Amino acid sequence: MSSRLEADHLYKVFGRRPDEAVDRLRAGADREELRADGTTAAVIDASFTVEPGQIFVVMGLSGSGKSTLLRMLNGLLEPTAGTVRFDGQDLTALGDRELRAVRARKISMVFQHFALFPHRSVLENAAYGLAVQGVPRAERERRAGEALALCGLAGWEKSWPDELSGGMQQRVGLARALATDADLLLMDESFSALDPLIRRDMQDQLLTLQQTLKKTIVFITHDLNEAMRLGDRIAVMRDGRIVQTGTAEDILLRPANDYVASFIQDVDRSRVLTAAAVMDTELRGDEGTCGCETATPDTPFTELCAMSARVPHPVAVLDAGREVVGVVPRQRLVGFLGDETGGPAPCDSPREGKVTAGA
Amino acid sequence: MPRLQLGDWVDSGVDWLLTHLSWLFDAVKALVEGMYDGIDAVLAAPEPLLLAGILAVLAWWLRGLVAGVLAFAGFALVDSLDLWERAMSTLSLVLVATVIALVIAVPLGIWAARSRRVSATVRPVLDLLQTMPSMVLLIPAILFFGLGTAAGVIATLIFAIAPGVRMTELGIRQVDKELVEAAEAFGTTPRDILLRVQLPLALPTVMAGVNQVIMLGLSMVVIAGMAGTGGLGGAVNEAIGQLEIGYGFEAGVAIVVLAVYLDRMTSALGTQISPLGRRAAAKARVASGAKAVWAHRPRPVVPVVGVAVLALVAGGMGVFGSSAGTAEASAANVGRGKEITIGYIPWDEGIASTYLWKEILEQRGFDVTTTQYAAGPLYTGLATGQVDFQTDAWLPTTHAEYWKKYGDQLDDLGKWYGPTSLELTVPAYMKDVNSLDDLKKHAGEFGGKIVGIEPSAGMMGLLKSKVMKEYGLEGAYDVVDGSTPAMLAELKRAYAQKKPVVVTLWSPHWAYSDYDLKKLADPRGAWGAGDGVHTLSRKGFAAEHPEVGRWLKDFSMTEQQLTGLESRITKAGKGGEQDAVRAWLKENPGLVDRWAPVDGRGGGSQAAG
Repeated sequence: MSSRLEADHLYKVFGRRPDEAVDRLRAGADREELRADGTTAAVIDASFTVEPGQIFVVMGLSGSGKSTLLRMLNGLLEPTAGTVRFDGQDLTALGDRELRAVRARKISMVFQHFALFPHRSVLENAAYGLAVQGVPRAERERRAGEALALCGLAGWEKSWPDELSGGMQQRVGLARALATDADLLLMDESFSALDPLIRRDMQDQLLTLQQTLKKTIVFITHDLNEAMRLGDRIAVMRDGRIVQTGTAEDILLRPANDYVASFIQDVDRSRVLTAAAVMDTELRGDEGTCGCETATPDTPFTELCAMSARVPHPVAVLDAGREVVGVVPRQRLVGFLGDETGGPAPCDSPREGKVTAGA
Repeated sequence: MPRLQLGDWVDSGVDWLLTHLSWLFDAVKALVEGMYDGIDAVLAAPEPLLLAGILAVLAWWLRGLVAGVLAFAGFALVDSLDLWERAMSTLSLVLVATVIALVIAVPLGIWAARSRRVSATVRPVLDLLQTMPSMVLLIPAILFFGLGTAAGVIATLIFAIAPGVRMTELGIRQVDKELVEAAEAFGTTPRDILLRVQLPLALPTVMAGVNQVIMLGLSMVVIAGMAGTGGLGGAVNEAIGQLEIGYGFEAGVAIVVLAVYLDRMTSALGTQISPLGRRAAAKARVASGAKAVWAHRPRPVVPVVGVAVLALVAGGMGVFGSSAGTAEASAANVGRGKEITIGYIPWDEGIASTYLWKEILEQRGFDVTTTQYAAGPLYTGLATGQVDFQTDAWLPTTHAEYWKKYGDQLDDLGKWYGPTSLELTVPAYMKDVNSLDDLKKHAGEFGGKIVGIEPSAGMMGLLKSKVMKEYGLEGAYDVVDGSTPAMLAELKRAYAQKKPVVVTLWSPHWAYSDYDLKKLADPRGAWGAGDGVHTLSRKGFAAEHPEVGRWLKDFSMTEQQLTGLESRITKAGKGGEQDAVRAWLKENPGLVDRWAPVDGRGGGSQAAG
């Protein structure tokens, strides 16, 4: 089983006298003040916890500090202040040698531009992490082969990275990260360089793999749709600070500020929302009594729409114990799609009959 | 502006190094010469054509059949030009310089790639080494390491090291940052990042640097030849010194053959040993679909076997060849194999007397090495004991500067020829110009130029300070500083076109026999009395070799003997000096015993022949 990752008040400041800069940031100075002095605060007071087996997505535009944050998690960058704990171990307290050991065995990474070694074959690339650990050749080739097969690249072992398409190259990158059996997977905009269709494929594949592997994953992206698709929890970063952390629904339904709100305008809600988010919990008591189709709180929005078309009345939502926990009237579905939370206003010339007749 | 005494500081720095670090220089010298001797022994051991075959097989393997055939043709050409041994010694010199340069340059480049501070420190030093005129490097190299291979190698490697460092640094810096980060992210140690990621990926660039190092080294060879390294550089210098265009061209062609071979081989080696390069080459072959014979490249095992077989044959022949050595013993064996080194300046009387003494001393059982130098390095070598003696010191005037500097470290074994004369000379077709007095009114005709030689030469000082003044030539004429070859070339050019020209010249000189020239009379005696040609030895030489010391002190030649020997040597041409001396001695029997008397056969009482 995977382990928990905790980041506690992380700061990363580039430039002169970083510690002093951290003190000023703690005292309330903002990023622009520091920039005037020639220091750059890349990450400011970032704290979060990633539960074992969770995909934690850090979302932000370029320059928001998300990549810097990621690199502090495996010690590629040393935090100016704050701690990173993984598996009960304080990574920030480790020396170089121990940190390398942790990186070799417990944390692996997938890069934006794949970062495959052009002078090694696909198999050798996938086996790289194991080679660093000193695993004997036969075993590491076997394990690398398995990782490649897991990523759908069986039969490509003898190829060279430059013979593969971008998507396949990133599968090699993923296989390289999985081959070491590291518990924590850091993914740095791993799918951003891929074509949209391939990106979808890769997202699906990651989700499928995750169902069996249950790794702890920190995924960096600038694409909120991707964040919502993948993330069990999402942190939105802006100017070095985490401005909101929560589930996709939290972000979508309760944006912490205008910045986040402006982001979610473009998000395809129907892909994110589930029955639990849209259902009406004010019950009359008789909703579950008929033999019609029912939904669960996890039923996706699009499926709910399909159900709603087949059921003549609001769809009942039942929990695991077959208890009715809410209903979804058709009106609410339409309202959520249009980002309208209010109810209908009365019509001065009702045409109820015609409408239902047509439905 | 106050005068900054930079030169003085450098001088005193060099002196300090000489007195305090001589052990270090000796160690370096021993190392370099050991490497050179080893490589040269290997290269010179096999029959030339066999080694050419080995090199051709290497070319075949690295680049294909055409390259192999061309390589063989090129080396066969070098052999047929009779330059094989020189080419091999040059090749050894370049290889030693390259190896040492790389041993220094690659780690330095790696260090510079990892540290901005080192990079910033190294860069100006490299600029200095690369752009400093190479002659300037040669002089301290000679001072520190003495004449010969070590100085040549050191000067060459200093000159050639810069691209090695730069390209290594560049190659490593060019490696994709994300790849390095990926290696770090998987816990790779810094050492493994360097060895497994950065260096393999930087290899093509590093190899381009190696290629540059070798090419610069070869281009430095000619200049290193001035330090007495011999080889093709020495050949070129001799050719320049004696204005032998054809011979110079031949030596130049041999250098080109070496350069092209090394260039093509190192660049092919670059693709061959870098995994990326190998793959790119294989892809290109597949893409072009070339399956023709000339594109065929044998598997590595073929050249390995080929080289091994040829090397075994070569080794076998070397073994049989070496047994053919002769050990001549005779009553006249005074030297018993003792080694003597004679240095010479490529002036005719210097060559003639040097080879004469080489022959005489060898007949007396000494093991004699002759090496050609420019005048400055020759005196340095003599003063530091690198050279035992030289026979061509023009004293007291021409070599006055050198005598002033090194005189107290040398022994003068006396004059063997004289007097010489210094003069301004015009072609005989300049009817109206017969004396220095006539020069002033013809200044326009001569363009106001007197073509001089090296500004360091004694006669140039004399010309500028005394002769010009005496005959009122100041203002009317400029003395053009240059070099002896340049002066002779200018004379030859003007003579061919029957143009007016006035040059500084001296007698004896072969130019007087080649051209119809006229020495300008010196009615006021401004040039002074002529020099004598002296034999100079290092301090204490005569005490160590009393017979040789005595012979040299008693030695003298008449003008007839000298010119006769010189013309013999000139006719025999390059490489035939010693044969010419033998032939001449045969025609003049008894001279050896007169010049080098041995007890029982010595004095005037010996039987001739």
